[in-house]
Amino acid sequence: MSKATLDGKPITLEDACREAARILGDATFPVVAGLGADAAGARSAILLAEQLRGAYDHLASKEILADLDVLRSFSMFTTTPNEARVRADALLFVGPGLSQLWPAMLERLAPGQPPRHGAQAGQQRRIFWIGPEANEAANIPATIIPAARDELPEMLAMLRARVGGRPVAGDAARQPAIDELAGVLKNAHFGVVVWSASSGIDPLAIEMLQAMVADLNVTTRCTGVPIGARSGAAGVTQTSGWMTGFPPRTGFGRGYPEHDPWRFEAKRLVDSGEADAALWISAYSGEAPPWSKGDVPLITLAPAGKEPGRGLYIEVGQPGVTHDCVEFAQEIGSFALRKATTPSSAPSVAQIIDAIATKLQGEVSC
Amino acid sequence: MLTVLRGGHVVDPATKQDAIGDVWFKDGRIVAPPPGGKADKEIDVSGHVVMAGAIDIHSHIAGGNVNTARLLLPELHRAIRARRAGTPLSTAKWSTYETGRLYAQMGFTMVVEPAMAPHASLQTHLELNDVPIIDKGALTVLGNDDFLLRMLRKGEAESAINDYVAFTVGNTRSLGLKCINPGGCEAFKENLRVFGLDDEVPFYGLTSRQIFQALQKSTQAVGVHHPLHLHMNNLGIAGNIDTALDTIDAAQGLPLHLAHVQFYAYGKEGKNAFSSASARFAEKINANANVSVDVGQVMFSDTVTISSDVLKQFNSMPGGMPKKGAIFDGDANGGGVVPYAYKISNYYNAIQWAAGLELFLLINNPEQVYFTTDHPNGGPFTAYPDLFALLMSADLRAQTMARLPTEALEHTTLPSLKREYTLYEIAQMSRSGAAKLFGFTDRGQLGAGAVADIAVYKPGKDVAGMFRRAAYVYKDGELVVRNGEVTQYKRGKTLNIRPRYDNNITTRLDAYYDELYGLPRSIFDLPDAALPNHDVFAEVACRN
Ligand SMILES: [Zn+2]
Repeated sequence: MSKATLDGKPITLEDACREAARILGDATFPVVAGLGADAAGARSAILLAEQLRGAYDHLASKEILADLDVLRSFSMFTTTPNEARVRADALLFVGPGLSQLWPAMLERLAPGQPPRHGAQAGQQRRIFWIGPEANEAANIPATIIPAARDELPEMLAMLRARVGGRPVAGDAARQPAIDELAGVLKNAHFGVVVWSASSGIDPLAIEMLQAMVADLNVTTRCTGVPIGARSGAAGVTQTSGWMTGFPPRTGFGRGYPEHDPWRFEAKRLVDSGEADAALWISAYSGEAPPWSKGDVPLITLAPAGKEPGRGLYIEVGQPGVTHDCVEFAQEIGSFALRKATTPSSAPSVAQIIDAIATKLQGEVSC
Repeated sequence: MLTVLRGGHVVDPATKQDAIGDVWFKDGRIVAPPPGGKADKEIDVSGHVVMAGAIDIHSHIAGGNVNTARLLLPELHRAIRARRAGTPLSTAKWSTYETGRLYAQMGFTMVVEPAMAPHASLQTHLELNDVPIIDKGALTVLGNDDFLLRMLRKGEAESAINDYVAFTVGNTRSLGLKCINPGGCEAFKENLRVFGLDDEVPFYGLTSRQIFQALQKSTQAVGVHHPLHLHMNNLGIAGNIDTALDTIDAAQGLPLHLAHVQFYAYGKEGKNAFSSASARFAEKINANANVSVDVGQVMFSDTVTISSDVLKQFNSMPGGMPKKGAIFDGDANGGGVVPYAYKISNYYNAIQWAAGLELFLLINNPEQVYFTTDHPNGGPFTAYPDLFALLMSADLRAQTMARLPTEALEHTTLPSLKREYTLYEIAQMSRSGAAKLFGFTDRGQLGAGAVADIAVYKPGKDVAGMFRRAAYVYKDGELVVRNGEVTQYKRGKTLNIRPRYDNNITTRLDAYYDELYGLPRSIFDLPDAALPNHDVFAEVACRN
């Protein structure tokens, strides 16, 4: 049985959905925020935002948009973790914390095993890691190039220059390793760079990395594996893409979708007062909203134990934990069905939002 | 409820009708006129043309590569108007919802997405599920996958290959097989930049020819109606007519569908060393009844090219307009997305436009040639009405030709072609022929028992306008379009086949995934429970 509370006091699920519909229906410009949900939850949430003529945003949009900015303004070479595993003869990890952002990364990419395909089959891979966290690269045969987070753009610029055969000034300590890495990538049959916008590298650094990949492809093959952001970000972005044509930070004020990363940022919308109600969805982790304004009419969908102090709260299950879900699976770079690991009767985000949408008089979507 | 559309000009090649008549339907199916029967609802469609709903056999409307294009080019699809009631997201440009609305408005009731990667089939089906109104289908891509190439390298028995093909088609819920630059995408991973019909895939010792021939045979053997759908080597390259002609010879008389052939109709004549070779191509197609083609007509517009021919797409990157793109090395094919603008003033684009029309006009049998623009590669599917108008009017073609670079007209036979398609021929290409190509016995036609998918058009001077905004469209007997506007959503089905195979293949595949990838094969499965609507699939029968 799902739990719902209004300002901390229990109410029935039925009343909670009705109250949620009232809050959202009364608002002039509500925002559907957080969007930490599986594909079905994202789909229902985006349809609801459209029905309400509000906006939607994901809690990791900053990281989502860091990669998308590079795609939209430059270009992107990518591959699947499977191809990296079976084909890469050079692997470059960029930035700290990758193995926490994707706990199965080293098991999946199997850097210690030789590649299986091509002329490189059976040969030892060359592995480099620029700026890992302490001990992160300890268990793999990697050459470590130490770098603080804020040194990464400079390191990548240096690397790109050396790949292009251009001289670089300064940093005598790290240049030999950078030179070696540049040589390895140029001589590799199939180099793969692994990065995550969630490690704190900015779009300029990602663009520098992708520009280097593009340069390398003039003479050999090189590509990348991005690690997606938290709370279902990659799957929500894909779902958003086919539903509206755009990633999150999209609004429907005019009755059709408009994408604007600044205008439709949930935090800005709430703090500025432009949004006069918020539906906050964080089914994976129960992460709290980022805004500081304390009095926006608020509905929270979060798992058990993540009840906020105020507003309307409806408990939802955790995708892939308490209920089966479809989400973007990092290990295959595509959608997959996940079976619940500890099934419970807690409703999914999609179920709750569909119930709210039904209460909101008017059309039910396709 | 028994409904009759009274007094329209019924154009239905499957039943050989081309005359004023009535069309009766009940409970979602066409019915024979009941003797002395009285309809519950009678609609006067006199002065209108009545056809079955159209079927688009090749249009890239769903899947990871299509979605990458959406995310790559927000500037190319800004929405401009609010939607009508009852049609959420129907004006969100390039969205799945808009796709369903726009197709329905043109009288289309089924579309086939032709390039579904087996390892990303769930996303393709999630997207197809969100295309409202129309029915959908997909083709599964094989031919650059290690498992198949290994089998061929080892010279395994045809029965083993058949089991793999049947399993993959069934498990990915598709209507058949497509093969895209067979072996060429694998070769690109080995850093080859060109790959022809008889080039060898490194480390497999197989040629493109061998790969597609094996899949062509296997498609027939397991009872897939649709012939192997082949995207040939050397797409877009001057002189590639030789590849196309050699490929037809390599088909050895077995059924074969060649995709977007306009992109292979190029000679090397003239000072630009680029000319239309459509006359030779059409002659060859006319002489080979085992071959069907879709054209991939170029229509002058800003668009984006989306293809699982990664090698070709990589080579296109420097010419991208705007200059950006995405290159994805997938588990097998992958994909490339590169924006492009076809300009009427550009010599090469003018040749492409003319070469496509030549193919339409020189191929004799309208059930052997299909009308695609290879959406969005040659232009958007919304340009079909303009394409139909061009096929139906030599004058209209002459008007456009007057705007082309004059030197382009010296390297195409188009100015000499006066043929004009009739409505009947348009219906053969877009209805009866398209249905036959997939073995559909109850669509693409208005015979009793067929699905009541019906398009009613109001003819006028503006032929493109007639096809762009159908007067009435019925889907499964329900009115979904009136006066060119979608009046309501309904959910279409995704059609799929399930060819039979020996279960040993799954055991073998399980072991392969475990050994190579360290993954359970089932992670790529597509159970009904993965889709928002559990009744989305409708199975159609295999051959024999
Ligand atoms: Zn195509």
